[in-house]
Amino acid sequence: MLEEEQVAFFLASRLITRGNKGTLLLTVTIIALVFVNLIFLPSIIAGVVILFNQQTIDYSYGNLVIEPRENELIITKANELQQKINRIPGVVASSPRYFGGSTIVYKGKSASPLIVAIKPSDEVQVLRTHTKIESGDFLSDADRDQIVLGRTLAGREDQKVDRVASLGGAGVGKTVEVTFQNGVTRQYRVKGILYSGTSATDSNAFITRKEYEDIMGTTDAANQILVKTRTTGDEDAMRITLMQYGVQEQVWTWEDKSADFLKSIVGSFDIINFISTIVSLIIAIVIIFIVIFINTVYRRKQIGILQAIGIDRSIIIKSYIFQALFICACGTAAGCVLLLLVLQYLTASPLVFPGGPVAPVLELSLVAEAVASLFVVSLIAGYVPSWLTTREEILSAIRG
Amino acid sequence: MIEGHRLSKIYGRGSVEVRALDGADITIGRGEFVGITGASGSGKSTLLHLLGLLDRPTSGNLLIDGVDVNALSEKERTAFRLNRLGYVFQDYALVPELTAEENIFLPSKVRGMTSKECTRACRDILALVGLKDRVAFLPGEMSGGEQQRVAIARALINNPALLLADEPCANLDTKNSTVILELLKKLNHDLNQTVVMVSHEEWHQRYFDRVVTLQDGKILSDGRPDVEGA
Ligand SMILES: Nc1ncnc2c1ncn2[C@@H]1O[C@H](COP(=O)(O)OP(=O)(O)OP(=O)(O)O)[C@@H](O)[C@H]1O
Ligand SMILES: [Mg+2]
Repeated sequence: MLEEEQVAFFLASRLITRGNKGTLLLTVTIIALVFVNLIFLPSIIAGVVILFNQQTIDYSYGNLVIEPRENELIITKANELQQKINRIPGVVASSPRYFGGSTIVYKGKSASPLIVAIKPSDEVQVLRTHTKIESGDFLSDADRDQIVLGRTLAGREDQKVDRVASLGGAGVGKTVEVTFQNGVTRQYRVKGILYSGTSATDSNAFITRKEYEDIMGTTDAANQILVKTRTTGDEDAMRITLMQYGVQEQVWTWEDKSADFLKSIVGSFDIINFISTIVSLIIAIVIIFIVIFINTVYRRKQIGILQAIGIDRSIIIKSYIFQALFICACGTAAGCVLLLLVLQYLTASPLVFPGGPVAPVLELSLVAEAVASLFVVSLIAGYVPSWLTTREEILSAIRG
Repeated sequence: MIEGHRLSKIYGRGSVEVRALDGADITIGRGEFVGITGASGSGKSTLLHLLGLLDRPTSGNLLIDGVDVNALSEKERTAFRLNRLGYVFQDYALVPELTAEENIFLPSKVRGMTSKECTRACRDILALVGLKDRVAFLPGEMSGGEQQRVAIARALINNPALLLADEPCANLDTKNSTVILELLKKLNHDLNQTVVMVSHEEWHQRYFDRVVTLQDGKILSDGRPDVEGA
């Protein structure tokens, strides 16, 4: 049996090495391009999804979010809870936050953002918002009459370019007047403008917990505690760990909390991705099939002659399968090289999306999937035409 | 060797049927060199296709080497072609991507010969057809006469019981045709190789032991060649 494969391999190797190099090159190029097409868009989309998710983690929620027990409005004994959480293995840091509604007025313009009250030294260990201060500085623990505004909230002087109600360009050093939920009104100096690229965060205003507690008359409480864990990806397990360590408050993952519209964007991308993969795959299958089919049909006469001199059709079919597999392997290899070049280029000069640069993410499972499907396709594309040609009458094949 | 009985090949159906071969009886003994002649369209190629197992007769019986070849399956017929028959085509029909040597040993490789055995057999046979120095040439690098000799060598590699050739000289000039005919004659004479060759050239007849003439698919005459020119 192995003799057959040997002859088939011998025949295939000669037909390839001594056959038309131009056709071979063209075929390999087409398969390479098809391969790149199959991987490229999904890897960009994967990059975008990862960017979105990373932003949610970095600028909005950390990995886990602790919220008040059911039927309670607030987390009490926040310090104790924070310390308890920080001791749990796998937790890096946590940051208790207050938030509440407010009205901010600047030069006659007003907006009603969410006020977020943080302890900066905790916050910087959990989120990365402090790295996204566009101008001015981030808060420090001792700040009392200072406020950090999100860029969307601060707005620009020419309010026409703002798509939402803003303060019309409240810049660093300016004074804004904030009215809190309980009616207290205070003046704050704008210490910094935050631009994280995450729209919810960039619409908020930030002050210190100390200041907030002073105004609201609360101590040692929080509306939520954000938790950063050592690794991203095992939030579900960490959530259970937290509960096992006796955290009785509600624990959510960033995914649970991430805004519905983000979820739906990611969901839409998944659908786009899926459709694009299917379409590219079908295109790939059709193109490879046609190219190899034509190649085989072109050799119809030769196939007839081989049969006429007594070479069994199974040997002929196998030799065409070998050829197709070889062409496909070359095409895939060339495609990988091409893809790596493209990805390298895009990593060096990334596509910039709102919220940051997107580095394409090469998912190995997708590459494996693509390679496997091209493999199967070339198997079929090698098999079907040679099967058809060897099935027809020898004389009509020889006549061409 | 060959016993063909009432061999017919009918193309088409109903009113437009063509009787390419119409009840031909033919018997060929071992070691004969038989020429098949006749006008264009008389059925020469059709007969050779049947003898070469490239086609099946519409009716009639055919025994080759004692085997009822019509009873064989396609796979068995392919194996029969490989092991018992050598076929030479008018247009040489070499694989252009294979060298002379590779073209020749392909059928023996299929039979499971080792590379060493293949190479040895190849060299012997190339010497026999007078192409020792063309071993590594591709068909495109050889003349028509040389290619046809390679094709004959390929047909001989598996020691066939029967060598069939359909107008092997049709694309060659007189000089090259003579080389081919001399070669076939030598194979027939020295190795007792049975050869059946189609030709419509009058002057080829002097090489044949026997000439079968076809007309409209029927055997018109069968006997010793007219050799007044010889
Ligand atoms: N596939 C076919 N379909 C229909 N008719 C055919 C087919 N092959 C051959 N014929 C007919 O059968 C008859 C015999 O053909 P064949 O090829 O055997 O002639 P030939 O003696 O070899 O002629 P030539 O000297 O021109 O090669 C011709 O009339 C031809 O038209
Ligand atoms: Mg003919």
